[in-house]
Amino acid sequence: MKSKFQFIMLFALVVISIETVAAQSLLEAIITPFRQKEIVPVDNKQYQDECGSCHFAYPPGLLPTKSWEKLLTTEALPNHFGDNAELDADTLKVIHDYAIANAADKSYYKRSRKIAIATEKVDAPLRITEVRYIKRKHHELSEKMVKGNKDVKSLSYCDACHTQASKGVFDADTVKIPNYPDWED
Amino acid sequence: MVLRLNLQKFIANAMLALAFTGPVFAETFDFTLPESRFYAQEAKSFLIAANDVETSKVATNIAPSSQEEFKPKLFSGSKLHQYLGVSTAVLAGAAFITHPHPTDPNAPRETNGTHAQLAKATVVAAVATIVAGVLSHWDDFSLEDGWTDPDNLHVILGVTGAALMAYAVDKSANSSTAVEHAREAELGALGMIVAIKLTW
Repeated sequence: MKSKFQFIMLFALVVISIETVAAQSLLEAIITPFRQKEIVPVDNKQYQDECGSCHFAYPPGLLPTKSWEKLLTTEALPNHFGDNAELDADTLKVIHDYAIANAADKSYYKRSRKIAIATEKVDAPLRITEVRYIKRKHHELSEKMVKGNKDVKSLSYCDACHTQASKGVFDADTVKIPNYPDWED
Repeated sequence: MVLRLNLQKFIANAMLALAFTGPVFAETFDFTLPESRFYAQEAKSFLIAANDVETSKVATNIAPSSQEEFKPKLFSGSKLHQYLGVSTAVLAGAAFITHPHPTDPNAPRETNGTHAQLAKATVVAAVATIVAGVLSHWDDFSLEDGWTDPDNLHVILGVTGAALMAYAVDKSANSSTAVEHAREAELGALGMIVAIKLTW
């Protein structure tokens, strides 16, 4: 009984003592009591402001490093999906470094891990909607719910349906498809 | 001595409860920055940045974010799976703590005591958790992602853990003499707890 009690005390002590530590390693990711089911939300003001000035500031954990390496370059940004998104060198460095440091393959958050695994053996996807895992999670949606829905238009407008997307939460329970109030996953 | 043991049990239960409620409190913290003042969904560049270029050319009236209107569901299959999983872990912890320590090895076995009841309840909760998980998360696991995928690992560890705990309960319940079954049960419980953590 005594050994069990000591074991429980030790376990609880370890859990409680690391409550304030963000996951930096696999071990910490397993032990930390913080929820890590979703994606790390954007917490860089410059990234949020620069990217968010034109579109939803996609959390870097939605794409792997190799994708951000292709997207965030001085050569690629003048033609960023058909638009000129050029940035000065200093700003680009901040945004590039932030995206790389928080890319899917650098994160232990569950959805990022899934994206990292799904993109591991394929060419770097440039669009989040090209990721196998993302495709699978949205396959049941009909065209009229997305393209034909005047309040959605495209899967790339994450926050049109994922009501907590800005917090990095993409759970099915937080989805609300405009004009389809009775939709259930 | 009895008082001391009861106190120890109480503290251990309180610690377990604290450990499990920690993540719930952690969820209440808001680590996000406020929305950018420059956020403009109607901007042309926003529309062009959309993956579907054809759509973006005609899209002129993108709906504003519906975050303010969102009210989380009180109950869902996913939440049921979550609650059942945590309940299983708590029941397993309670069964672990109430494990009897007979001083006389020839004493009659207690097959319907607190430990036995909790162990059986743990297995029932584990099975219910698996059923709820299959029904609500069927599209989260896929063999093409391999066994390192967090959801695939969750399934492997969760099902193996439940099977080990069921085996331990069955082994003990169907034996007329005291039989060693703690190793299987503890390994099974550990498997389920790690499975929960992987997707928590």
